[in-house]
Amino acid sequence: MELAYLAAGFGAGITTIGAAVGIGMIGKSAMEGSARQPEASGDIRTSMLISAAFIEGVALFGQVVCIVLALK
Amino acid sequence: MKQFLRFLLLTLVFSTGVAVVSNAETGGDENRIDLIGKVVDKYYLDFKPLTTIELPRLIYDNGNFHVYRSTTSLLNESEIFTDAAYLDTGPFIVDGRKKPVTYKIVRLDGSSPQFDFSITNHLVFFWLAALLTFLIFIPLSRKYRQGIGRSTEPRGPFQNIFETLVIFIRDEIALQNIGAKKYQLFTPYLLTVFFFILFMNFFGLMPWGVSSTADITVTAALALFTFSATQIFASKDHWKHVFWFPGVPVPIKFILLPVELIGLFTKPFALCIRLFANMASGKILILSILGTIFIFADLFGSGVAYGTSWFWVFLTLFIYLIKALVGFIQAYVFTILSALFIGMATADHSDEHGH
Repeated sequence: MELAYLAAGFGAGITTIGAAVGIGMIGKSAMEGSARQPEASGDIRTSMLISAAFIEGVALFGQVVCIVLALK
Repeated sequence: MKQFLRFLLLTLVFSTGVAVVSNAETGGDENRIDLIGKVVDKYYLDFKPLTTIELPRLIYDNGNFHVYRSTTSLLNESEIFTDAAYLDTGPFIVDGRKKPVTYKIVRLDGSSPQFDFSITNHLVFFWLAALLTFLIFIPLSRKYRQGIGRSTEPRGPFQNIFETLVIFIRDEIALQNIGAKKYQLFTPYLLTVFFFILFMNFFGLMPWGVSSTADITVTAALALFTFSATQIFASKDHWKHVFWFPGVPVPIKFILLPVELIGLFTKPFALCIRLFANMASGKILILSILGTIFIFADLFGSGVAYGTSWFWVFLTLFIYLIKALVGFIQAYVFTILSALFIGMATADHSDEHGH
C-alpha cells in the first residue's frame, strides 16, 4: 500500500512536468507572436488561455488518478 | 536601523497573528490540524474564533422528510438516526461532551438513509452567490429596459463597471466563439455562468467565506448545464461528426466513432475537474503553507518557527493574491470553453466543403 503513495507522488510530479513544458511552450510562442505583431496580441492572449486550459485539463486528469491512488 | 525596526515590528505582528490562528486551529485537546476537514463541506457556518452557526438537517427517508433544527438536536433527540463517521472536530455538544462533527448521518442499524438534503456550508455560499447575481443583474437589466445605457450613456459607477464586463463577454466570448448567427441565444447563459462562478470564487477570499466551487458537486452541476446546452442545441453536423465522420475513409470512421463518443463526455468532465481542482488547491495550498510554521515548530523549536513565520505569512499573502487572479481566470476559462463547445456543436458546416 505504501507503493501506492510513492506512485501517487511520482505521478503528480511527472504530470506537473508535462503541464509545465506544455504551458511554457505556449507562453513562449505567444510572447514571440505578440512581439512580432503587437496588434494581434488580444487574439493571441485568448487562444493562449484556451490552449493552456486544455493542457491544464489533461494534467488535472493525471492528478485525479494520483489522488485516487493516494486515497486508496 | 529604521528598516530593521520595521521588519521586527512586522514579524511580531504576524507571529502574534499566527499564534492566534494556531490556538484556534488546534481546537482544545486534539493537537493536530485536520487539513482535509477544513476543505470538505460542513454542516455548520464557521466563524471560528467567535462562534459557529449550525445549519438545519433535512433527511428524506421511507417516504417522509425528517427536519431537525441542527445536528446537535438531531443527535440528542432523534430516535431514528445517528452518526457514522468522524472527519472533523466540531462545535456539537452531545450529552455535555464535545463531539466530533457528524459528517454522515445513518439509521440506527448503520445503513444510510435514502437522501440527505441537509443544508451545508457550501450550499449557503452557493445561495449567497446566486442571490448576489440576482440582486445585481435584475435592477441592471431593468435600467437597460428603461433605456438608460442604450439611448443615453450608462449612469453611475455600478452600471459602468458591469457594462464593461457584460460587453466583454458578449463581444469577445460569445460573438467570437459561437458566431454572429446564434450568439444572442447563448449570451444570457454565458453571462450568468461567468458572474455566478466569479461571485462564488470571490466568496472564498472573504474572511470566514468558502468558495462553493471548491465542491465537485457544484462544478459538476455547472458542467452538466454546459453539456446539456451543447447537446440540446447541437446541429445536424455535430451528430454527423460524432457518428459518421465526413471526409475520411470508411475504416477511419469506425476508429473515430468511439473517440468522438468519449470526447463528448470528457469535455464537460474536464470543465468540472478544472474548476474544482483550481479552487480546492488554492485552499489546500494556503493551509499547507501555514502548516509549515507548525512543522518548523515541531522540528526546530518554537523560536525558529516564530522567526521564520513572517516568510510563510508573506507567501500565504502572495498565494491569496494568486487565488484572486485564479478565481477570475477560472470563471473566464469556464465561460470561454463553454462558448467554444457550444460554438463547435451548433456550427453549421453546410456552406463549407468536405469538412
